Amino acid sequence: MRTLFKPLLIISASLILIAGGLFFINYDAGSTLSQAFAAAPEKAPTKVPTPPKPPEKVNPDGTPWSPAAQVAAMERAKEVPPFIKNVKDETAWERKQRLGDDAPTLKDQDHAYVVLNSPIVNKDQDMYEPVRFMHKKHAAVTGDCLKCHHASADEPGAAETAKCSACHQEAFNPEFPERPGLKAAYHRQCMTCHEEQEKGPLGCTDCHGKNVPDHSKLVKLPKNPSPTQVTTECLRCHEDQGEDMLKSAHWLWKGPSPYTVDGEKRVDSGKATNTINNFCIALPSNWPRCTSCHAGYGWKDETFDFTDKSRIDCLICHDTTDTYAKVPTDAGMPYPQLDLVKIAEHVGKPSRKTCGDCHFQGGGGDAVKHGDMNAILYYPTRSCDVHMGDLDFQCHDCHKTRNHKISGRSLSLPVAEGARSCEDCHTSQPHHGNDLLDHHLNRHGEHIACMTCHSPVYAKCKPTKTWWDWSEAGDKKRKVNKDKYGMPDYFWKKGEFLWDESVQPTYAWYNGTVERYLIGDEIDDDGVTEITRPVGGIKDSKSRIAPFKIMAGKQPVDKNNKTLLTPNLFGPKGYWKNVDWDQAFKVGAEAAGIEYSGEYDWEETKMYWSLNHEVTPKEMALSCVQCHESLTQERSCDRCHQDKRDVDFKALSYKGVDFKTMAARGRDTLDLVEKTDYINFKALGYKGDPIIYGGRFKQLPLGWHKDGKEEK
Amino acid sequence: MNISRRFFMKTSAVAVGGAVTAKAGTAKAESRNRAPADPFGCLVDLTQCVGCRKCEQACNEVNHLPEPKVAFDDTRVLDCKRRPDQNAFTVINRYYPGKKDEQNRLVPTYAKIQCMHCQDPACVSACIVGALTKQENGAVIYDKSKCIGCRYCMVACPFGIPAYEYDQPFTPEVRKCTYCFERISEEGGKPGCASVCPVEAITFGKRDTVLALAKGKIKKDPGRYINKVYGEEEVGGTSWMYISEHPFEKLGFLSLPKKPLPTLPETIQHTIFKFLWAPVTLFAALAGGMWVFNRKQMTGEDISEERGADNE
Repeated sequence: MRTLFKPLLIISASLILIAGGLFFINYDAGSTLSQAFAAAPEKAPTKVPTPPKPPEKVNPDGTPWSPAAQVAAMERAKEVPPFIKNVKDETAWERKQRLGDDAPTLKDQDHAYVVLNSPIVNKDQDMYEPVRFMHKKHAAVTGDCLKCHHASADEPGAAETAKCSACHQEAFNPEFPERPGLKAAYHRQCMTCHEEQEKGPLGCTDCHGKNVPDHSKLVKLPKNPSPTQVTTECLRCHEDQGEDMLKSAHWLWKGPSPYTVDGEKRVDSGKATNTINNFCIALPSNWPRCTSCHAGYGWKDETFDFTDKSRIDCLICHDTTDTYAKVPTDAGMPYPQLDLVKIAEHVGKPSRKTCGDCHFQGGGGDAVKHGDMNAILYYPTRSCDVHMGDLDFQCHDCHKTRNHKISGRSLSLPVAEGARSCEDCHTSQPHHGNDLLDHHLNRHGEHIACMTCHSPVYAKCKPTKTWWDWSEAGDKKRKVNKDKYGMPDYFWKKGEFLWDESVQPTYAWYNGTVERYLIGDEIDDDGVTEITRPVGGIKDSKSRIAPFKIMAGKQPVDKNNKTLLTPNLFGPKGYWKNVDWDQAFKVGAEAAGIEYSGEYDWEETKMYWSLNHEVTPKEMALSCVQCHESLTQERSCDRCHQDKRDVDFKALSYKGVDFKTMAARGRDTLDLVEKTDYINFKALGYKGDPIIYGGRFKQLPLGWHKDGKEEK
Repeated sequence: MNISRRFFMKTSAVAVGGAVTAKAGTAKAESRNRAPADPFGCLVDLTQCVGCRKCEQACNEVNHLPEPKVAFDDTRVLDCKRRPDQNAFTVINRYYPGKKDEQNRLVPTYAKIQCMHCQDPACVSACIVGALTKQENGAVIYDKSKCIGCRYCMVACPFGIPAYEYDQPFTPEVRKCTYCFERISEEGGKPGCASVCPVEAITFGKRDTVLALAKGKIKKDPGRYINKVYGEEEVGGTSWMYISEHPFEKLGFLSLPKKPLPTLPETIQHTIFKFLWAPVTLFAALAGGMWVFNRKQMTGEDISEERGADNE
């Protein structure tokens, strides 16, 4: 028995070993071979790029980020006050008579900002997002609290006004059948008034966005789908949205340029065709690098098919997992290791994250291009941006979008799909306290853009690039120094840089239109070529003084043709590979459709960048005395008004941003402390402080210098 | 003599029958009213409706109806007149009754259509198998297990509401608004359309309550409403009622009699079969006929004999 067993055991053991060995050999050989074949023709085993980590939801000091005003308003929205059963039976007129001067006013208001999101309304259906309601604004615009608070409780000692939800609660209360429920009360009140006044939103989604349905059950995708497969799945239901997207600026990178001087009738201007800047200069020939921010897949050369809907990148805007990201150098393709199924199952509304991933990173890195937008705005503090930091605004809360056309315009690019302004929400009378100061501030709105006072410095929280000298590029051995902000002053691929943080803007008259240098235009031979320049002037009544970031630098020009050159930087023929400007200009010029004579030079250029974000809280706006030096000499309002002793003139005129405090908090604002004539009236065309010399249209009899000449 | 006997039989039968009919008729008219004692009602205030189609959407969702061809947020469909069908139990139509605003633009009025849930429904009366029933809470509901597909209900309904699933060859059903029967049967439940309406153009409650509300609204604001609650009396009253600024004829509403539609046909039918008098009379008449005929035969022999004698 034993003798028989032993050979059997040996045979079986050896069989197992052989089989195992064969498998091992097969497996090993197979895998290495396939790898070798795959890797051999292209590149040697390169490091697989890893997607960036999503931004952390924390404050600079490490505490969890929380938009205080929004959180508080959301909490308040949850409260259901005790039901008021009986209301006084009186007409609006009788009520007014009864109250007389005791009628509630703006000053009696508890909360300027209210979120309408009562559990009463959401009990049966919850189809829409909360409504942001500017309570104080409405009170100021209507000028009468009793218009909305149309009845008062018939109880001794009850307040004259109550929350809507105190009287209007659940619908169809059999005890009070004539009293509409809260949802109907809101809708009737808002819509009736908006209709009558022909002001304010009327459409459903103008007040509250739709809740996005849970897509995890709707999305049907195979394992590890390709990006275009995901898009095809999206289009299964959202065919129309795909069609809309094909016509949008985010897809075409060109479009109508209604605010560009001489470009009002053009529809072909844009990054894709003819715009140029003094950062990375221009798109043509550099596609795979630049189009990593394109809302599409595979725009790697001029042959990209702009009619192919399956190449739309839906996820770059609609990801809510914060994990989706594109490879910076792969023509808009996402990182291959991403879980696209999970991302597609969690699509939703765009956010600061999705928009910011491209718009904060313009120019090749965070905060490089825009003076007012950077990664801080993913989760900013209140003092960085009051809308995003305090009220948790997402980009689309202001940049209203229809048919995938996103409203808003910039100076840097000609394409505009609708304009947005502060006044759209805040009205042309934004200061609504109805007192002396508000009156003066509202008058300023005719001559000064909101941001001039409400954003005293830009790049407030993070340094931005202000100078870029391409002529110095190419020195791989040059030592890179860090400036006081820790930012590098040189990079051999790009040249020399300057960075600045908490910068005082440059002020200029701006009527909303822009003069623009487009590819192929002749440069300004006499001095600095202005690639973008705001149009306006002191005598143009449509112009207002607006703040700008100035981006300056040196960039290549064709010595003979006198045009700005569009170098090929990225790719096999690019400058970053070969450090050969001549070849780079040749390839780039061909792609951009301009001529390159063979000789190049470096010229200084300048771009104006508009500043519309990083809105400071009102208490950090510019104060009166920071611009009007003359007011520092005054003790009261009696230069223009009869002296009113109860007005604390100093407190009013000095109320505003304190650069000393900002500096103490680590911002680079020491140079701005005690600065007066902040916006530099003389540079803007005034003779001096308008309080003394008069305004641009009116010469007010303001005392000493009626004729505009200084008395000696 | 023969004639006089026959005449007596006839007149007496007619007299008895007539008496029975008269008595049965009055008794039936009182007992046959199906209106429940305290049903639910809905009041649609056409001056409030903004034509947002949210009610259509909610109806679709709570009844698990198929996805519509045109999305619910697309209000272009309001431009053509629609009827409820087997896949949409309620629809909104837009009318321009002629009123203009300050800018000389026509002001639209939107009218919601769905089953009116009549107090005394013609469809229930017409249904020969009892598949449609009027419930205590006011809903007229349909039992598909009883339905034989005769579609008499569709012919009977004065509002043309019941729709038939012609596209389902094997399991066709009659489909119409259910008044969200299951939802409103629960405590505090509301119909889907009424609960979603953003402006509360639909008020849901006990019929008496919402009728009083309707009258109160008209009384309080007589300039805003015409003095009529549509559905208060139409075809004996309906659970769904409407108030409007404009005459209802301009908004696609039919002018209908106040009497419940089943009154006449049911009276006739029920009269005929009351106490089995009709068959009894019929058989009595037949029996009488037989008796007369037999008697004639009996005497006939004598007559033929007489005739034979004559012939001879």
